[in-house]
This record gives sequence, C-alpha cells and structure tokens, in this order.
Amino acid sequence: MRRTLGTLLLLVSMYIKSQMEYRGAFWLDRLAQIVSYGAVLLGMWILLQKFQLLGGWNWPELALLFSFQLLAYALGASVSFTQLRNLDDLVRLGTLDALLTKPINTWAYLIFSGLNIGYAGHIILAIPVLVWALLAAQVSWSIGTALFFVGSLLSAMSVTGAVITMIGATAMIWVRSNHLFAIFFGFWELTRYPLNIFPAGIQAVMLTIVPLAYISAVPVAVLLDKPVPLLGDFAWLAALLAGPLLTLIAIAHWRYAMSRYQGAGG
Amino acid sequence: MTALIEARGVSKRFRQHRRFPGLLGAFKTLVTTEYSEVTAVADIGFDIAAGEAVGYLGPNGAGKSTMIKMMTGILVPSDGTLSVLGRTPHLERMANARQIGVVFGQRSQLWWDLPLIDSFTLHQRIYDIPLARYQDNLARFSELLDLKPFLDRAVRQLSLGQRMRAEIVMSLLHDPKILFLDEPTIGLDVVAKDAVRRFLAEINRERGVTIILTTHDLQDIETICPRLIMVDQAKLIFDGELGKLRSALGSARRLTLEFATDPGPVILSTATLTSDDGLIKHYLLERDDVSLVQVLSEVGNDRDLKDVALHEPNIEEVIRSFYQRRNTAAAITP
Amino acid sequence: MSAYTAFVRSGFLTSLAYRNEVWANIFGKLVQVFARVAIWLAVYAGVTAVDRISIGDMITYALLGGVVMGATRYDRIIRHVGTALKTGDVAVWLLKPVHYPLYLLSIEAGASAYTFLLAVVPTIVIVALVYGMHPPASLFHGVMFVAYCGLSFIIHFLCAAIFGVLAFWLMTIFSLEWLLQSLISLLSGLLIPFWFFPEPFGSIASHQPLAWLVYYPSAVWLGRLDIMQTLLYFGFGIAWAGLLTLTLTLLWRRAASRITVQGG
Repeated sequence: MRRTLGTLLLLVSMYIKSQMEYRGAFWLDRLAQIVSYGAVLLGMWILLQKFQLLGGWNWPELALLFSFQLLAYALGASVSFTQLRNLDDLVRLGTLDALLTKPINTWAYLIFSGLNIGYAGHIILAIPVLVWALLAAQVSWSIGTALFFVGSLLSAMSVTGAVITMIGATAMIWVRSNHLFAIFFGFWELTRYPLNIFPAGIQAVMLTIVPLAYISAVPVAVLLDKPVPLLGDFAWLAALLAGPLLTLIAIAHWRYAMSRYQGAGG
Repeated sequence: MTALIEARGVSKRFRQHRRFPGLLGAFKTLVTTEYSEVTAVADIGFDIAAGEAVGYLGPNGAGKSTMIKMMTGILVPSDGTLSVLGRTPHLERMANARQIGVVFGQRSQLWWDLPLIDSFTLHQRIYDIPLARYQDNLARFSELLDLKPFLDRAVRQLSLGQRMRAEIVMSLLHDPKILFLDEPTIGLDVVAKDAVRRFLAEINRERGVTIILTTHDLQDIETICPRLIMVDQAKLIFDGELGKLRSALGSARRLTLEFATDPGPVILSTATLTSDDGLIKHYLLERDDVSLVQVLSEVGNDRDLKDVALHEPNIEEVIRSFYQRRNTAAAITP
Repeated sequence: MSAYTAFVRSGFLTSLAYRNEVWANIFGKLVQVFARVAIWLAVYAGVTAVDRISIGDMITYALLGGVVMGATRYDRIIRHVGTALKTGDVAVWLLKPVHYPLYLLSIEAGASAYTFLLAVVPTIVIVALVYGMHPPASLFHGVMFVAYCGLSFIIHFLCAAIFGVLAFWLMTIFSLEWLLQSLISLLSGLLIPFWFFPEPFGSIASHQPLAWLVYYPSAVWLGRLDIMQTLLYFGFGIAWAGLLTLTLTLLWRRAASRITVQGG
C-alpha cells in the first residue's frame, strides 16, 4: 500500500515536472482561463445590474453558485477530465494496451500520471469569489451548515469526477466518446444557473441521468435555504449522497468498460 | 520440459460497425446499426519452450498484434485456451506482468518531456525491482546498447533508434522470463536495426530470456529467431525452423543447364522443363528429395553439358510466391 | 475554384461520418438554446417589456443567436491553423497550388453547412414551436438578416483564423482558444444584447467587429435598426471584414515566409 502510494506520488511529480518544461505557456494558459471565466462572471453581473433577480436569486447568491460550481468542477475534473478525455486516442494509438501490460492499476496510472495542475486557474478565480459571496449572501451559519458546506463540496467534486470517468470509460466500448463530452459540457454550462429557471424536463434530467445539478444548484440552494424543485426537503440528503453513490457506479462502469475492451464481456 | 506458452485453438473475433460509402451512404450510416464480424485470429495452436526465440511473421492485418495482445493479457480470446507461465493471461494479468516484458514498436512508453533516466526510475518503482538488481541491469544493458551518452537527455530530443533501444532496455530491467516485441525494428535505419537484433540475440542466448517478436522484416528472424511461426489471414500456415519453410510452402528450386551444342529437347523425370532456349534450358525441381546428382545422372554424360546452375529461392521469394499463389487462388474461387 | 468546392464537400462529409457525434450535436444545441430562453424567461419574471423590449423579442433573440453562432466553431479553426503552423504541416500546403486560408475557409464552410442543416435547423424549429418566435420585422429586414448571417460567418472565420496564426508566435493554441472564447461570449452579444449593457459600454461594444457575429444580425431581424441604419451598419461590417482580411493576410505572409525561410 505504502509502496503503491509512493509510486503514485512519483507519477504526479513526474507529470508536474514535464508540465514545467513549458512553464511560460502554462501560466499564459491559466491567465487565459481566468480571463475567460471572469468574462462569464462579468456577463452575469451585467445581467443582474439590469434585472436584479434571476429566478429569485440575487447577485451575491449567483456569485456563490458560480464559484461553488467552478471550484467543485476544478477539483473533480483535475482527477478525471484531461486524463480520460483522450482515452479514445489512447485506445486508438495503443497506449492503453501498453498500460495494460504493467503491474499497476490502469485507472490509477492514468489519473495520477496526468493529475491536472492546470485547474490552478479555476481555483485562483473561484476561491476569492467564493469567500466574498459566502460573506455577502445571506447564509445562516451554524455547525450544521458549515458541515454541510464542506460535505456537499466534496460530494459535488466526486459527482464531477464520477460522471467524467463514466463518459471517458465509454471510449473503451465505442472507441469514440467526444460527443458525450459535448453533451456533458452542454449541461454543465447550465449548472451556473439556479435549477428552478429551467423547464421541468431539463430539471428532471439534471437530477437523474445527467446528475450535474448536484455539483452546484442543489447544494447551494440548500445552503441558501431556497426551494429545490422535485427534491424538496430531501435536497440536502441527495446533495450529500450523490457523490459517494455516483463514485460507486463509476467504479462499476469502469470495470465493465475495461472487460468489454478486453473482449471478456461479449 | 513443459511449455512456457501454450496456445490451443485460440481465436479472436471483433465486431465492426458497418459504414456505407458516398453522400447517401453517410446519411444511411446515421440511422443503421449493422455489424460485420472480423476474425483476426482463427484456431491457432503452438507451444513455446523456455529459452526459445520465436519470430511471428505475417503481412499487415494477419493477426500478429492481436495474438501478442492475447498472450500479454490485454485481450481475451474468443475461443480456445491460452496459458503463459502456467497462468491464463487475462485472468492473472498483473501477476504475469511482473514476469514479462513488452515492447510495442510504434507506441512509446517513455515520458516524452523528461530525461530518459526518469522513465527508468518509474519503471523500477512500478515493477518493484530491488535497487541493486536494477542498477546492475541498467548498467549492463546501457553498456550493451550504448545508452549512456543520452540517459540524461529529454526523450523528445532522442532519435527513433535511440528511443527504441531505450524501450528495449526498459522492458528488460525487471528480468522478465519472456520478452514480447511488436515490430521492434519498424522505421529504424540499418545501423539501429543491426544493434537491436544483435542485442536481442545475445539476451536470448546468454540470459535465456524467451523472445517472441512480430515483424515483417525477415532479417529480424534470420538473426534472432531459429523458429518461425507464420500466419496469414488469421490462420497458422507454418510453424518450424526457418530452413524448412521452403519445402513447407512448396517453393521449387530452379535449375539451369547450359550445353555446348544443342542436344534438342531434354525431358527429365526428376525435373520439369519450363523454357528451352536451345543451348540453355530451365527446369523446376518440384520435389525436395531430388538431389542435383540424381538430375545430372539422368541427363547423362553423352549430352555435351557445359555448365550447371541451381537457384535456391531465398526466403523472401518463397513467401512472395506463396502470397501470389494465394491471391490468384482467391481470384479463381468465387 | 472546383478544388475549393471539393473541400467544402469533404468538410461536410467528414462531419457526417461520425453518427454519434451528429446526434450528440443536435442534442447539445437543443439544451443550450433551451437554457438561453430559460434565462430570459427567468429574468423577465412575468414582466412583459423592459426598455421597450418584450419577452417575445428576447426569446427570438436567443433563438437567432443559436442560428448565427450555432454552426461555426472558432475553436476548430484556431486549432486547425495553430497546429498546422506549429507542426510545420502547413509547408505541405505551401507547395500545392491552393491558398491555405481559402482551403480552410472552404473546409469550415462545409463543416458549418453540415452543423447548420443537421443540428441548428432542427433545434431552432423545436424551440420555436415550444416558445414561439417573432418573424422578421419586414421583408427587407428578413433579406438583410440573411446577408448579415453571411457577414457573420466571414468575420467569425477571420477572427478565429487570426488567433490561429498568432499561435505561430505565442506557441500556445490553448490560451488563444480561451481568450477568443471570452471575447465572443461577452462581446458578440450572444448571451446579452448590448442594449442591456450599462453605458458607455453598450456603445463601445456595438462598434467592435465581434458585434457583427450575433448582435447585428439579430437586431436587424427584430427591426431594431431602420432601413438606413441597417445598410449603414452592413457597410461598417464589411469595412471590419476588409480590415480583418488585411490583418490575416499580413500575419499569414509573415508566418509563411518564416516557415519557408527557416524550413519550419
């Protein structure tokens, strides 16, 4: 166990070392991402200057939603997205085959050899906004809400990682999975807004088959004591359970996809 | 002595989504789900003993890589049984992985942006190689393949030949019992090819590492592998010593007889006349057991024979003529 | 010329070859446009008009944004140009009797035509049936909208291609992609029309080239510009397109000559 951990840490440090070969580009990329997400936030601010409320949410509340989503996404995606987005390439080029001949867990190797420190940009933007919004929005703090905040953030991060892992793993069955990522990011953009503004169909989808509501809209609504469509009083529980539950499903899916790839599952 | 690798009736089939050509076809592809089944490996069986070096030869798409992937546990056979080091490869992939080395010619397992030595260090950690053993192996192999000058250079700055040498060294660092190589010399220049071949032959001889390599370069097999397994269109067509390939594939030797004076038509029972230029006559020796002496004694001493030339077809010719015959046969049978 | 029509065709067919992507595209677009409409319904919150703009206008605006921006993909263009320049693959094109930028324009036109027909049109029809959509303010505005759409495609292409060529010097396609994305999301009018911007930002935003991507075509359809203004701003748009073409040509020549001189 300790040995495996050491190997994974070595993988992470090797990846960081190879990223730092292009340090100038690295930081330029982070800057570009901060500017880009900043522009989204600015757009939201412009809209709220004109209209004051969006689906019953004011500016600090929306800023809280935005930054919570960005932080949860960055943390979850850093252990999944860039590594698994290219899984279809790895399959096509045979890199995955080479990995399968090593005495190390394939998933662990993939994830830790590409642990994406590039999400630093997201985090640098998200944390100050989150801190400001937590202070400016009307959160009634107690030990309960504080625990819920931490727990739901961890859960949200797991939801992100689990959903991306499932999409990525599909590449092992269908060879290409990019189109699923296109759908994912379509829904993902919606998670910057309160769930209640969308048609009931989209709400239902985002609470079930594309469970992205749990990475922001549900937990932040609970935190701000706002009603959550369809879930009602169970929203807090769903927000906390979504992460662990989806992680288990993602593990099962990964195993299934792997066995299909090897031709064991028919 | 039991076999290190045992294959019995191994087959592998893949399903492919059907595509239709053209603009209308593109729309049709959108809405249909038709599959066609492709057989990559069909009913192949062989035994490989410890210390052997086996060349796995065949044209593109003959199922060479698929077989390697099944032996290394990456793919699961559709039919048949496969045993490597006494284990079923895909069920005990991890356990096997520690005892085999794998080199895929066209996909690097090295870290592109980092010094070469870093990839080796990682390998040591992943395979849990005792440090002394690792250093020992690294020193020895680096010496043999001349890696020392560029161990500290970033992989992206190395030439293809240097990278392939590094891949091979890496695959041997954990003292594998079997080394699988998929097209190890593809794309290399003559000098690099030669270095790789000599190294592999030496590893096989001195360390007793069993080697299985796929290639379509015969030179690889002539230098490294006494034994050849040849596949074509998913099926096994030859398994044995390289020297026996000719008779197995039925490629005839050619004989040219030159006479001082034209003896007229000379018909022999031991050789078939293929062309007659008067003074010079060409024959095919279709039977392998016929010796030159037998042919010459049939010709006799009374026909003013001036010169004799026997052409042993080289392996490349044997194989080429085999594929040509197979293709014409395929063209005739509907 | 026939070479370029062949490129258009192959761009179209390549996109069509991946059927799962086709369905995913349609679905993704549908979600996006639904979401944009949902946002406007939410901020209007039952009010019929804000600054003389009705909720019906805004729904139409959101749908039109999908029409003009739905098909062209700046990221694809940047990546195409950027990679070709960085890897030196572009040298192959310099040897052929084809202008690389025009080749790219053709490929992109084919790919866009595909997305337009198979993803944008069905999406818009579905959303329009659900929420309703205003017709163009007049026949003149309708005809001019089509012309503005053509202009929008050209300016979109030019901006993306310029960013792509910049990759030759900046060495990071990634940053350029993200930067252009932020500019487009804010300054094309895709998310918020400039009439809702606080002044003077509204006036500034409506005079930069990206405004012709979404804002002007949609404003023309809705009749926010009278006949004179419609023609005048079309002229301005063409002037911007000319200026951008000049910029692209100059940058391209620079990069191409660097490649031929240094051998990539």
